[in-house]
Amino acid sequence: MSSQTHETETFTAVATALIRPETEQERERRRIVVMCLPFFVLATFAAFIPLVVMARMSVSADQFENSGFSMEAWYTLATESVYLTVAWNTLWFATLATVASVIFGVGISHALEKYEFPFKGFVVSMISFPIALPGIVVAFMIIVLLGRQGLLTHTVAFFTGGSPLDIAVATTVFGLFCGYVYSLIPRSTMVLRGTYTEVNTDAEEAARALGAGSLRTFYHVTLPEIRPGVVAAFILTFRSALAIFGTVLVLQSLNVATLRIDREIAVGFNSQIAGAIGLIYFAFILAFTFVSLRFTETDVVEI
Amino acid sequence: MSEDVHDTAGGQGVVARIDGLIAGPTAKAVVLGMMVFVLLLLMVPIVFTFVASFAESAAGALPSGFFTLDNWRTVLGLGDYGVQTSVGPGLAFSAMLATGGMVLNIIIGVPIAYALTRYNFFARDWINAIAILPLVPGIILGVAFLRTYPENAGSALGLIVGYALLKSPYMVLTVQSSFQSMDLQQLEESSRSLGASWPRTFLTVIVPNAKDGIIAGSIICWTLAAAEFNFTYMVYARGPRPFSLFLFENISNAPYLQSAAAISVYFLIVVAAITVLQLVGNRGFSTSSDR
Repeated sequence: MSSQTHETETFTAVATALIRPETEQERERRRIVVMCLPFFVLATFAAFIPLVVMARMSVSADQFENSGFSMEAWYTLATESVYLTVAWNTLWFATLATVASVIFGVGISHALEKYEFPFKGFVVSMISFPIALPGIVVAFMIIVLLGRQGLLTHTVAFFTGGSPLDIAVATTVFGLFCGYVYSLIPRSTMVLRGTYTEVNTDAEEAARALGAGSLRTFYHVTLPEIRPGVVAAFILTFRSALAIFGTVLVLQSLNVATLRIDREIAVGFNSQIAGAIGLIYFAFILAFTFVSLRFTETDVVEI
Repeated sequence: MSEDVHDTAGGQGVVARIDGLIAGPTAKAVVLGMMVFVLLLLMVPIVFTFVASFAESAAGALPSGFFTLDNWRTVLGLGDYGVQTSVGPGLAFSAMLATGGMVLNIIIGVPIAYALTRYNFFARDWINAIAILPLVPGIILGVAFLRTYPENAGSALGLIVGYALLKSPYMVLTVQSSFQSMDLQQLEESSRSLGASWPRTFLTVIVPNAKDGIIAGSIICWTLAAAEFNFTYMVYARGPRPFSLFLFENISNAPYLQSAAAISVYFLIVVAAITVLQLVGNRGFSTSSDR
């Protein structure tokens, strides 16, 4: 009882200090709260409340409004094998695309940082260009390259004599993979570029002077230095990969979580199942982020 | 000595052995080759789409019959097919929504970016992570909005609020990057010792000094919101149709060359955005300044 009274008193004291600060420290605390407040007001109305309502939606008995209680959606998710397939597809595909994009990102950042060539600023801008493109436009880019009228399709058809219709791969899983990589390489590169500028070139030169070649220098000196950046790039790219929807909606070749949510809503308005998938997805992303952030410093995490 | 043993054992030994085979110029060629390959993968379809939007026919292997403005006329609503295919109203509506989202992002993003850069406080790292990482993907936020705001999810207000939340990390990061290059404490102390109150210091000294970062963040947020698709697609029900849905309709239904023209409209917007970003010191759509 007394501890509760004590807590109430502390709370009142803190609140009073926030509203009417007397010391400079209290004033600084009030400033911090005031500065963070607008963001949290938006986050509350645009994210926290909707997420809670979505959680409630997943156990609603009615599909059009939140009323009653039913665990049916969760039961369906746990028992029907299609949802396990969706989860598996989402994870392996995002992981593979992320690994590929981070490897390319390391190569590109390495080229940008270590070698001199003309129009470097222009090259950086061009590599960042796809960050601005919505997923549906990325899908169109893949159709332009690999679709039935695609540039690469026709090139291959020209050299092999095959039919473009058989060679087109835009709407296969490989085409979708290209779409993912198309939107993810720019993101991973931009994260890695930040770390690369901070690499200590003295250590690299020392390694070379002692007789190490390019690969050995990279593996033993550069890689440990850019490790935080690689981890950060992996975290951000993986999160982006999981969130991709427009590209899958157009190319349609793999049943991933975002597409499944859309299908649940579009066909039969299974709002409870859509809500449940959304909730699992959110919980997973949250857990993944906070666990993986332990492996790197937060200041290297940039989009 | 033990390190040498370690070096020849296992995976690292492989590195050393391959290392002997690769000369410096080869490594350079591999890395630059990788970059050129990606640059081509990214740029060729964009340039091709833009060029194809001026072609008459897409029947052959390559578009043919240059040069015509027919596709652009159709997309811009000047053609024979009437207004329903025109980009105009959707783009104007989306520009308005993106501007609303951008203004909200400045209001919420600049102060929290300052607090996170200038002060060290309880749970700072966690709050930082919430502010700089997208909280929810667009499609899931859309589903949540549908139930939370049944009447307003797809209204102009709903879209503006959704865009502001989805794009806020870009604003916070860009402005943070600007603040990090400034000596905030010294600026603050000089201004206050000259008699300015704290709010006045913030608004008339700190904010104007971070002008470039705020402009860059605004441009990135605006451009991304103007073509936001995932959230928009989920919550849209009626009323004026946003630009991204116009793009989607073109990509999934319109003739190839007309889609190319519709998408090229957005390319032009991105090119304009990148040009302004260069002027304020950011290279492309990156949240960190190169200065």
